[in-house]
Amino acid sequence: MTEIVIQTRDLDKEFRRDGFSITALHRINLEVRRGEFLALMGPSGSGKSTLLHLIAAMDRPTRGEIRVLGQDLRALSDREVARWRNRHIGFVFQTFNLIPVLTAIENVELPLKLTHLSKKERLAHAETALRLVGLADRMHHLPRQLSGGQEQRVAIARAIVTDPDLILADEPTGNLDAASAQEVLTLLAKLNQEFGKTIILVTHDPHAARFAGKTRYLEKGELLPEGQVPD
Amino acid sequence: MFRHIPLILKNSWRNRRRTTLTVLSISVSLCLLGLLMALYHAFYLREAPPWQARRLITRNRVSLAVPMPIYYRDRIRQVPGVQEVMISQWFGGVYKDSRDPNNFFARFAVEPEKLFVIRGEIRVPEDQKRAFLAERTACAVGRRLAERLGFRLGDRITLKGDIFPVDLELTVRAIWDAPDNDEVLYFHWKYLEESLPPARQGLVGTFSILAERPEDVTRIAETVDAMFRNATVQTRTETEQAFALSFVAFLGNVKAFILSIAAAVTFTILLVSANTMAMSVRERIREVGVLRTLGYTPQSILGIILGESVLISLAGGLLGCGLAAVLCAVVRNGPIAFQQIRSLSVDAGVLATALAVALAIGVLSSAIPAWGASRTPIIQALRHTG
Ligand SMILES: Nc1ncnc2c1ncn2[C@@H]1O[C@H](COP(=O)(O)OP(=O)(O)OP(=O)(O)O)[C@@H](O)[C@H]1O
Ligand SMILES: [Mg+2]
Repeated sequence: MTEIVIQTRDLDKEFRRDGFSITALHRINLEVRRGEFLALMGPSGSGKSTLLHLIAAMDRPTRGEIRVLGQDLRALSDREVARWRNRHIGFVFQTFNLIPVLTAIENVELPLKLTHLSKKERLAHAETALRLVGLADRMHHLPRQLSGGQEQRVAIARAIVTDPDLILADEPTGNLDAASAQEVLTLLAKLNQEFGKTIILVTHDPHAARFAGKTRYLEKGELLPEGQVPD
Repeated sequence: MFRHIPLILKNSWRNRRRTTLTVLSISVSLCLLGLLMALYHAFYLREAPPWQARRLITRNRVSLAVPMPIYYRDRIRQVPGVQEVMISQWFGGVYKDSRDPNNFFARFAVEPEKLFVIRGEIRVPEDQKRAFLAERTACAVGRRLAERLGFRLGDRITLKGDIFPVDLELTVRAIWDAPDNDEVLYFHWKYLEESLPPARQGLVGTFSILAERPEDVTRIAETVDAMFRNATVQTRTETEQAFALSFVAFLGNVKAFILSIAAAVTFTILLVSANTMAMSVRERIREVGVLRTLGYTPQSILGIILGESVLISLAGGLLGCGLAAVLCAVVRNGPIAFQQIRSLSVDAGVLATALAVALAIGVLSSAIPAWGASRTPIIQALRHTG
């Protein structure tokens, strides 16, 4: 049995807005093992992003338990959470979210600035990460000088540069053409297979989901049982 | 914190036009503030130079325009600690065309042999000094004045009287140097006195006193004024520096004026840069969310935003102080109404104060948006568009 890296029990998330309460997630029980590549699918508004945010400790659940990498996330203070996220989580957004004034390598270096590494070590790590995503020749380009696919690969380099255990990608191919999407998905598969990274990929695209080893579905905030496909 | 400096620098240069305009508006305001502080400093905080520290001026308690009897001089001379007392009579008068402000300068009737004792800092060639002392209608002019109006040794100067009903015909016999207050013409008091009708004789506007030691000046001032307290003509004695300041006071409450303008300027620029910072922070909320996702704490976000704002306002502050220094030099070397202006400069104290104000503006103007941005929940920050 491989180690369970994500475990939730009856996880609820409600958003309160203008006196209304919206249930985004309801009684989620999810287990993810180390080295898994899980695709998370579901219609818009089904709570995919919300679940990813809870796993990354970017938001706090309303009820229920959540353990990630053996850590009870509810027990961490805001400061500890930031540090924990920096060490253990690599997050990839649909819209890349690179800092526009920084070059590719500077963007990748950002999370390392919170570590004790020297400038030299930071740049060496950032360079390695960029090499891994195939952008060794674009290190000193600004985001606007890169194509969408290249930007997303820089974002992936930024997500893996701290060597996190978990990579969470929220529709990483949503803004890409087919060819770039293919590159990004291949890259994620490589990170999973060659580097043993645990990956959760949120996607709308059944083709993308085929890169994952397993697909789970969310519907109206509820996680369908394993193996069950919505009609 | 230092690791974030490259990001801070790049962020601040992100919107070049806005940053340039902000830096410029801060620099213009801080230039003005620097000038005001330099002015305040020159008038109120400057220590009297050593040669001035021993000098006092006695005048009529009622008004500078009302004279005192001449025999007061000898009574003042008796006060312990007084080294010398000299008659010093302001002669208004008109030189050439009075409508040209360039033709305005100070003219004093003095006792020539005492002048170089009272103003020991004056340097003058020995032969010129002798020529000045020897001739009843001689005058001695300061170097800066001589240069401004083109006076040379031997030149004749006619002063038309206004307060005094006499015209004076003077000959330049000496041109002297002094570290300050060198736009003055001195001539023999005897010459003035003898030209006056008998009714106007025997009266003096001010006495210039030289104390033996600078520590004595306060006591001497008190003793002199006490001596004439019960006389018909009472006196008011003060240090030469304080006396000079009383002319500035003619302009009104200069101190309050300077301070209130300075406060208004500071407040205005605070609002302007607060608005700018609020704008640039709002544009970047989403990036704040990204940084937080990468593990940046609210504190480091706060530091990055404050750092940017401080950087911009310090740049403005430095530029403003540079501008102020240039303006001070220009004013200092132009024609001036008050001697204090000659010491107008952006010195270390003024510079430090101006930069401290710039620093405070930087922190205060961005404190609220920076705080707000750093505390925005990550999810909310990431959803931010704009
Ligand atoms: N910050 C928030 N405040 C209020 N409601 C929210 C917030 N975030 C999400 N929701 C609501 O929670 C539900 C789930 O949203 P979520 O973004 O997780 O869906 P999703 O599955 O990621 O959808 P999509 O495919 O469109 O990205 C939605 O009804 C959404 O409106
Ligand atoms: Mg989503």
